[in-house]
Amino acid sequence: MADVRMINLTIEGRPVTVPDGTTILEAAKTAGILVPHYCYHPGLPVAGVCRMCLVEVEKMPKLAPSCATNVGEGQVVHVYSEKALEARKGVLELLLINHPLDCPICDQAGECELQDYTFQEGRTDSRYREPKRFDPMEDFGGDVLYVTNRCILCTRCVRFMDDVHQEPVLCVAERGDRATIGKAPDADLTQPWAANVIDLCPVGALVSKDFLNKARAWELDRTASVCTGCSQGCNNVLESRDNVIVRMKPRSNEDVNHFYLCDAGRLDYRWMNRPDRVEVPKIRMHDVLSPVDWETAYDEAAKLLKGKRAFVVASPSLSNEALFLLKRVITQTGGEGVFRCETGFEAPLPGVPDLALRADRAPNVYGAELLGFQRHDINPLAGLKQGDVLVLAGETLPGLDLSATTRASAIIVIGTVHVDGIPTPSVVLPIANVAEEEGTFTNLRGRVQRFLQAKAAPGYVRPSWYAFADLATAVGANSDDMNLPSVIFSALAQSEPAFAGLSYDTIGLRGGLIAGATAGAH
Amino acid sequence: MSHGPSAPPRAPGGAPGHHEPYVAVFTDGSARQTELRDIISRYPDKRAALLPALWMVQQDRGWISEDAMREVGDQLGCTAAYVKGVVTFYTMYHQHPVGKHFIQVCTTSPCLCAGADDVVKAFLEHTGCKELGLTSPDGKYSVIEVECLGACGFATPVQINEDCVENVTPAKVPEILAGLRD
Repeated sequence: MADVRMINLTIEGRPVTVPDGTTILEAAKTAGILVPHYCYHPGLPVAGVCRMCLVEVEKMPKLAPSCATNVGEGQVVHVYSEKALEARKGVLELLLINHPLDCPICDQAGECELQDYTFQEGRTDSRYREPKRFDPMEDFGGDVLYVTNRCILCTRCVRFMDDVHQEPVLCVAERGDRATIGKAPDADLTQPWAANVIDLCPVGALVSKDFLNKARAWELDRTASVCTGCSQGCNNVLESRDNVIVRMKPRSNEDVNHFYLCDAGRLDYRWMNRPDRVEVPKIRMHDVLSPVDWETAYDEAAKLLKGKRAFVVASPSLSNEALFLLKRVITQTGGEGVFRCETGFEAPLPGVPDLALRADRAPNVYGAELLGFQRHDINPLAGLKQGDVLVLAGETLPGLDLSATTRASAIIVIGTVHVDGIPTPSVVLPIANVAEEEGTFTNLRGRVQRFLQAKAAPGYVRPSWYAFADLATAVGANSDDMNLPSVIFSALAQSEPAFAGLSYDTIGLRGGLIAGATAGAH
Repeated sequence: MSHGPSAPPRAPGGAPGHHEPYVAVFTDGSARQTELRDIISRYPDKRAALLPALWMVQQDRGWISEDAMREVGDQLGCTAAYVKGVVTFYTMYHQHPVGKHFIQVCTTSPCLCAGADDVVKAFLEHTGCKELGLTSPDGKYSVIEVECLGACGFATPVQINEDCVENVTPAKVPEILAGLRD
């Protein structure tokens, strides 16, 4: 890479050194100063239409839009000078002329940049006494509702659809004070990645139909997680209220999903709240499943597995930690581990390299493969031998021919829900789902990424790594020291060459690549 | 309903959408296609012919429907959304069907002083249009107010399609309407 010239400048009295070609707005960020802005977004082409990011640059005759002005050697930039503040206050006053100020009923309230900057720099009252413009709302299709009155015409949505999604269905229609965002005839935002315009919209003009009037932004608890919709492993934020996940938003990670999350992923969270869960461990007594305590259930499982081969069908939605401990059970019993993965169409986001809704619709397919689980999508039960103990770990085998399950001497179900269509299992162990525990997934490019616990698990449910560690101990592979996900991951990194050198500390929240992982296809 | 005097005229009943099937303007071998190609050849970018192409559609079909936006977009290699942005930007492109005779009465200050208000009323009355911007039930007339037509010395000027009539008074309105060809 050629040497990039470094530019020195002063922003608000702070010395800043950034590569040539950086904008003043981005340079200010490195100095810890966020210049107010609407139309600028780091993932989109620069438009320079909102005029909110005006700053004063010494020796320049006029205020400069910092999103569209590159840094220059020796520049002295004032973000909060009287002149700059005055100009931005004027911009805000104009933006608010036709804004309905319906914050009390607006979903964006609390996470609205118009609110934030007005609070920061705007006028305390309006001088506008004339009637405001009124336009009806428009359903833009997909998950997107356009509330015309709130729009400030920053055109982020138009540029996203044009340049990133490359399905140009939005435009600026009309002009002057009548301008709105227009939708192409016969096309709408029913597109695989279109709902990202909701996150891009700095105000409440584009809102989610799914989240409409559901919760106030400030009532939500936010937890860093990883989307379980496919093997891409997009970073997301689970937003919960009163222990219920109510929304999923993208979490930016330049190495995976940039700023985006596909529609399928973001709307696939309701299952995390499903009420029909197994909440207590159960064992079969007189052909009926009866609740017991955990220790009794482990003992029963260990008794069944004694001298038998464990045939494990694991879900590729289990964490690396859970699969690692499950592998101990398999090794100890001389058994076999398989998994299956739902597949679907692949939907790339054209403007971002190597980002797509992947065909494999599970988050940890690569991790399961690395840990020695064999993939059998069509008939995962083919290898089940007469007399084996069938262990269904987080897997419910929907829509498959389950007649082979009769070959098993016993069935142990470890999961969040009961499994239909199989003989009554001997043991049922309830485990937490992805929102209720901590762990890591390995995405299809070999990036190991952490997800954190967003809500409490119901009943006597235990995290999957907890249940598998105890089960491994019960069958004789002592895992008593496996008492935290971070500890389990360190053990995993030590015994699995692919994961060598990784730890929770090193992967952080942006993820870490496994040994031998390349940016390309594996 | 409208934002101002130059809001786009709407069909009677205000229900755009139920129209006859769209007939393409720039069909293969048509004179319009030749004309469009000639215009395109003058510019480095096909899209430069967008405004003339839209005028051709409006002359031939009376207004610019969503189907027309798609056709023009296809002809000029841009998206229907882009064409929509342009059509809606310019107020002189009709986004709804209008009467065969599109009557624009100047109501800027000098004409208003000269009684343009009464001229507007006379046109509404004699054409059968219920209000400004609506088309008469027989589909023949639409009346709107416009800003300065640049003929203040001959107030009140009225532009009917491409033609301008000057010194219009309410008394002359029936005569003017009678003189329009069907």
